[in-house]
Amino acid sequence: MRFRYAMVCSSNQNRSMEAHALLKRQGLDVASYGTGSHVKLPGPSLREPNVYDFGTPYKQMFDELRRKDPELYKRNGILQMIKRNLSVKLAPQRWQDNAGDGVFDVVMTFEEKVFDSVLEDLNNREQSLTKTILVMNLEVKDNHEEAAIGGRLALELCQEIEGNETWEDTIDDIVAGFEKQHRRKLVYSISFY
Amino acid sequence: MAAPAAATARAQALSLLAAANNHGDLAVKLSSLRQVKEILLSLEPSLSAEIFPYLAELHLSREILVRKSLIEIIEEVGLRMLDHSYVLVSVLLVLSRDEDPTVAKKSISVGTTFFCTILEEMAMQFHHRGKVDRWCGELWTWMVKFKDTVFATALEPGCVGVKVLALKFMETFILLFTPDASDPEKASSEGSRHMFNISWLAGGHPILNPATLMSEANRTFGILVDFIQSANRLPGALTISVISCLAVVARKRPVHYNTVLSVLLEFHPNLETVKGCHAASVQYSIRTAFLGFLRCTFSPIIESRDKLLRAFRAMNAADVADQVLRQVDKLVRNNERAARENWSGKNNQVISHQNSWDLSKKRIMPQGEDDTINGEVAPKRVRHNTNMHLTQQVQTNESLQGPVSINGISSGNHLSDSELTPVEQMVSMIGALLAEGDRGAASLEILISKLHPDMLADIVITSMKHLPSTPPTLASSVATPADIVVSSSTNTVHSPTPPAQLPFDPILPAGSSFSEVPSLSSSVADPRRDPRRDPRRMDPRRLNSSVGPTSLPVGEGKESVPVQKDISTLLSKPVSVSAVTPGATGSVHSTAVELSQNKMMGSSGIRIIDPPECREDLLTVPNECSYPSKEISSLDVPLSPCRDDEGIRETKYSVPDLDMLSVPDFDQHSPSASVPDFDQDPPAASDITAPEESYRELDPVPSYVELTTEQSKTVGKLAIERIIESNRHVFGFDCNKIRMALIARLIARIDAGSDVATILRELISVDHREFKGHDLVLHVLYHLHSMAILDTDESSFYATVYENFLISVARSFLDALPASDKSFSRLFGEAPHLPDSAINLLDELCSTRHDPVGKEVCDSERVTQGLGAVWSLILVRPNERKACLAIALKCSVHSEEEVRAKAIRLVTNKLYHLTYIAEHVEQFATDMLLTAVNSETNLSQTASTAEGIKMEAKSQITLTTESLGSGNSDIPSQQDLQTSREVSVISISEAQRLISLFFALCKKKPSLLRLVFEVYGRAPKMVNQAFHRHIPILIRELGSSYTELLQIISDPPKGSENLLTYVLQILTQELAPSLDLIATVKHLYETKLKDVSILIPLLSSLTKDEVLPIFPPLLNLPPEKFQLALAHILQGSAHTGPALTPAEVLIAIHDIVPEKDGPPLKKITDACSACFEQRTVFTQQVLAKALGQMVDRTPLPLLFMRTVIQAIDAFPTLVDFVMEILSKLVRKQIWRLPKLWPGFLKCVSQTKPHSFPVLLELPVPQLESIMKKFPDLRPSLTAYANQPTIRSSLPNSALSVLGLDNGQDSRSQMHPSDATSSIHGAALT
Repeated sequence: MRFRYAMVCSSNQNRSMEAHALLKRQGLDVASYGTGSHVKLPGPSLREPNVYDFGTPYKQMFDELRRKDPELYKRNGILQMIKRNLSVKLAPQRWQDNAGDGVFDVVMTFEEKVFDSVLEDLNNREQSLTKTILVMNLEVKDNHEEAAIGGRLALELCQEIEGNETWEDTIDDIVAGFEKQHRRKLVYSISFY
Repeated sequence: MAAPAAATARAQALSLLAAANNHGDLAVKLSSLRQVKEILLSLEPSLSAEIFPYLAELHLSREILVRKSLIEIIEEVGLRMLDHSYVLVSVLLVLSRDEDPTVAKKSISVGTTFFCTILEEMAMQFHHRGKVDRWCGELWTWMVKFKDTVFATALEPGCVGVKVLALKFMETFILLFTPDASDPEKASSEGSRHMFNISWLAGGHPILNPATLMSEANRTFGILVDFIQSANRLPGALTISVISCLAVVARKRPVHYNTVLSVLLEFHPNLETVKGCHAASVQYSIRTAFLGFLRCTFSPIIESRDKLLRAFRAMNAADVADQVLRQVDKLVRNNERAARENWSGKNNQVISHQNSWDLSKKRIMPQGEDDTINGEVAPKRVRHNTNMHLTQQVQTNESLQGPVSINGISSGNHLSDSELTPVEQMVSMIGALLAEGDRGAASLEILISKLHPDMLADIVITSMKHLPSTPPTLASSVATPADIVVSSSTNTVHSPTPPAQLPFDPILPAGSSFSEVPSLSSSVADPRRDPRRDPRRMDPRRLNSSVGPTSLPVGEGKESVPVQKDISTLLSKPVSVSAVTPGATGSVHSTAVELSQNKMMGSSGIRIIDPPECREDLLTVPNECSYPSKEISSLDVPLSPCRDDEGIRETKYSVPDLDMLSVPDFDQHSPSASVPDFDQDPPAASDITAPEESYRELDPVPSYVELTTEQSKTVGKLAIERIIESNRHVFGFDCNKIRMALIARLIARIDAGSDVATILRELISVDHREFKGHDLVLHVLYHLHSMAILDTDESSFYATVYENFLISVARSFLDALPASDKSFSRLFGEAPHLPDSAINLLDELCSTRHDPVGKEVCDSERVTQGLGAVWSLILVRPNERKACLAIALKCSVHSEEEVRAKAIRLVTNKLYHLTYIAEHVEQFATDMLLTAVNSETNLSQTASTAEGIKMEAKSQITLTTESLGSGNSDIPSQQDLQTSREVSVISISEAQRLISLFFALCKKKPSLLRLVFEVYGRAPKMVNQAFHRHIPILIRELGSSYTELLQIISDPPKGSENLLTYVLQILTQELAPSLDLIATVKHLYETKLKDVSILIPLLSSLTKDEVLPIFPPLLNLPPEKFQLALAHILQGSAHTGPALTPAEVLIAIHDIVPEKDGPPLKKITDACSACFEQRTVFTQQVLAKALGQMVDRTPLPLLFMRTVIQAIDAFPTLVDFVMEILSKLVRKQIWRLPKLWPGFLKCVSQTKPHSFPVLLELPVPQLESIMKKFPDLRPSLTAYANQPTIRSSLPNSALSVLGLDNGQDSRSQMHPSDATSSIHGAALT
């Protein structure tokens, strides 16, 4: 439990929560966030997504969706996902609104746009602690299967980073090695608190 | 805390420390340390400090966690009791080099916090008390050491994690010691903590030397840049950190932005090869940096957007960039709207609540005092003084909850109002430095050298808002005009500072002056608020705000004259100030004054003064000081009430400086010389509020005079002239940049495009080749354009200025430069935007117009130039593409061949390759072709209604051109009229004009030819002639690639047969036709087109077997065509030889049976005759051969005998051969062939006497019948037969027929005449 991790995706529902649950189970100090403006979940059609504010408890979403169309949301795995989420934490959190959550050592994002948002947000914060933060992006498609794979990869990556005294010296090799082993693109950046 | 308790705590702490040091269990050590921390925090600082040395010893602990905890304690405790933390800070220094990276990292980050805190503390102390405590100075020495250590860490090999933090520290260092000119909105959003900035140090800090620190910050920046440039050898994490740090610096300190941008843009290391460097991440960090830049809205960044976008495109991230840009633009628009709304609201409020402002001010004063005493609030306060005193003020008001009406006014307005723009911040910074005299000079130079030229220009231009009315009076007023106080929109008052005065003061040594003074000039007015939009402009009081001198001299007419001279001589000195017009100098004075005023804002704690009042205050001063002696006394007056009323400290500040300053001025007897003294020192500025009360009732002096448009134009022009003039002597890149920025802004302010262009023309055109002029023009254009874009309300104004300027510069290029010069095209290519008039100019250039005067008659080189420009515009300017294309196309049907040829070359060779316009080009060419084709058809049909056609043609063309380019509808229509008129009497040249482009296109796209074939049938003769002129050239150009042509040939449109034949002729003229062609044409002949004449051109390449079947139809052609065909057949190709030998031709002709194949007999005979006419081809031998072959045929050709007769006619020497033939025929019993027999007889009769032997070979009945038919033959034949040799060989029957047989004499006697004749004949022979 040396480093503190943050898993970030766009709605703090699927990818980041999958990773969050996994890392948490492995005993890592982890939190998760979304960077979108709202929490969006698939609805009956592409044009009718279910939109919630960040901070709306998972439980509430769960109940609401179950009331709306239990069949649909069971079939597309949304209910199961939210159920998993509510066992992890109370509600989705927005990265930009939770600067007060303290200092993370490593942030994993699962989408380039999210990666950019996190970096931009970190840049806009007052950087007075002179402390480094490692931000990594692993592209993961926003579906259950990919999220499961992405979560495992994130866990693996975090464990590898955890094994190092200071990640700054080894991060290039870790990233390159990861890319080689899993044939997936990984990008990292360094920002400061 | 009671003493015994303290002692106990101390003892406890010491024992805990001992445990932490010596205990074997790490957990115990750590928990002991935690307890020590608690104790330390609970004790009096002085008591805690006694424990510090023991605590410090822990840094020697071997336990990493202990050392780490120690740093944490130092952070928590040390920062609370800074004055005692000397020992602790030294520990940080040691631990920052700790072998364990986590410890080293921790100590660097804690050290950084200390660094900032101590810096702030020192600045605060100086501001509040005018001196700095000793402990602070000592701590600072440690901090300097710490800085050196950390910098060294960054440069030396070591743990990347530590180095990364060291880099971050360097970034912090740069930010601290680089003047903060960033967007205040950002600054305010940075967070609650306001970081120290070098600009706080104005006013001569005893320990901190701003100049040194600034130059060190610059050096540090250089180190970071160097890092990037050596990125090839760095680990990726380090490179990324450097990029990230540089990006932060660039965003927060625009001064460095351009350097960072260019460094990052040029950053293309070959990272793949570097081990331990993840290249993709490094690249991405650059992308992140650029994205961050895009989100910034200060000017250098906005200006570099294009560069950034290009970079994004190169990274394939253009969409991301666009998205960000859209967000940012939206944000900016919203802000602007909000600002505007605020302004309109504020206007009313400010005026109506004048009094309430006063009230509020009074209320706040004591509060301010409290603040200064309270150490914690102090940092904030200073910050607000520099940047946002109004915000503070409003907040304070609110906190007071006083009955002040100002509180009722929306504070938001004031908030936005109070934010200083970068320009203002720079101004205040500069002012502060100026105030320091020589010491500040060095820093000032550094600062100026780092300033972006645009910023510098903005500063100058901003100051021009306060141009005084009449330059002469201004100048005349005083020998030291700089002394006069000016206004500001924000607040305060000032006097000039000594350096600012120098340039104008003849007495002071010029060497000590600041040459950069003019560039410093500025005003505090927010540049974002356009002065023209500023509602306060209408406020009469505002007029007071500016220069005092203007008012003074009025009463001093006598004095003014000589002084004016003085100044003018001064102005001509090479100091850069001299560049400015008299009017501008006025602004400089005022600016100088403003600078010092700003300095005060920066350094002193006044935030109470509100703008309008201030101005009034200021005005009072000059009014009072009409004479030097009075002035000094008057100065005291305003000052004293302040002190009394407000109890503000420092009188002492003003004293030393005052002396120093006032002396020179005084000696000069300048009326206002003493003004500078008035508030020479920052703290004294707080006094300024006082005069306001005393002099409020005085009438304001109208020092701000609104110039008429004319005047301001003139002044602006003069200013530009001066700047340019000055530049002749000053060469230097920086200078140039500043000059450009200045000129750009001046031009934007005075709408005098053509006038200015006239002024600039010489410079620009002379200079343009070295691209300096070009840079200038572009700079101006970009500036104007950005103004036009930003300023949505007045877009038309700036847009007009822009347009005028662009056009006049372009025209001046055309007038002054040779056509081969690329400047024109470059100008249009790189200008930010091309208005319609620019397109019109281009159009005019390309397709000139027969000017009645003959002056402008189209110069072909100019046309080339114009078309060249058109081309490059089409390539680089998608927006203007259509309009430019329309120009090019219009030229391509220009009535002058030279223009047309050039345009056609451009269109076909260059433009047509561009996929995005190919279709337009094609469509246009087609339309033109059809115009040519159709017009005459119509004409011929209804020749009388020429008018109607004109209309039709016109509408057609207009449609075409309009569909292409909408921008220049008026010009095409002229052209159309012309076109239509000519169409009605279409001549071959007119046809050429219209179709040339199309044919040129055909070269590029042969399939277009089909259209030619299609319209050929209905095209007027003239047009077809024109076609025929083009076709050969075209076909030859097409060369071997005529597959398209083949397709057309294989399926020719109706009516195109002539053209087709013509094409085939051309195709076969020089080269043997390809097999494809032959096959195609043959196929065509066999399937669709039964006209054999199309085969004629190919005949020479056909084999005998191919020719023979088509021979009959060929023969059936009109004679001249057959002759041609014959020639082809006989000519043959080089390698195959002729398809038919002449003999074979003859035989072929004879083989034709009239009934079966169609050609009537007449044709066949004609053909034969035709052959015989070519006696060089159909020679004697040929005939002999042919006849020899034919005679063996069964059946004999019908015309055989005829040919024989003709042959013998043609070549009498053939007679022997013919006789052989005849005798062969006899043997073949020719008499049995009724059609040939007469011919035979005729032949025989014609060839007598040579035919006698043949005759005699005939059987008797035939002989007899011949004798009967040709009685005149008998005598000669008889005579021949009667020859002894012959007679003996003849059978009796024959003889008897001839009457030579004795037994048959009776018979012969029956025909005495015959016999005799024959005998006679025989005898004769």
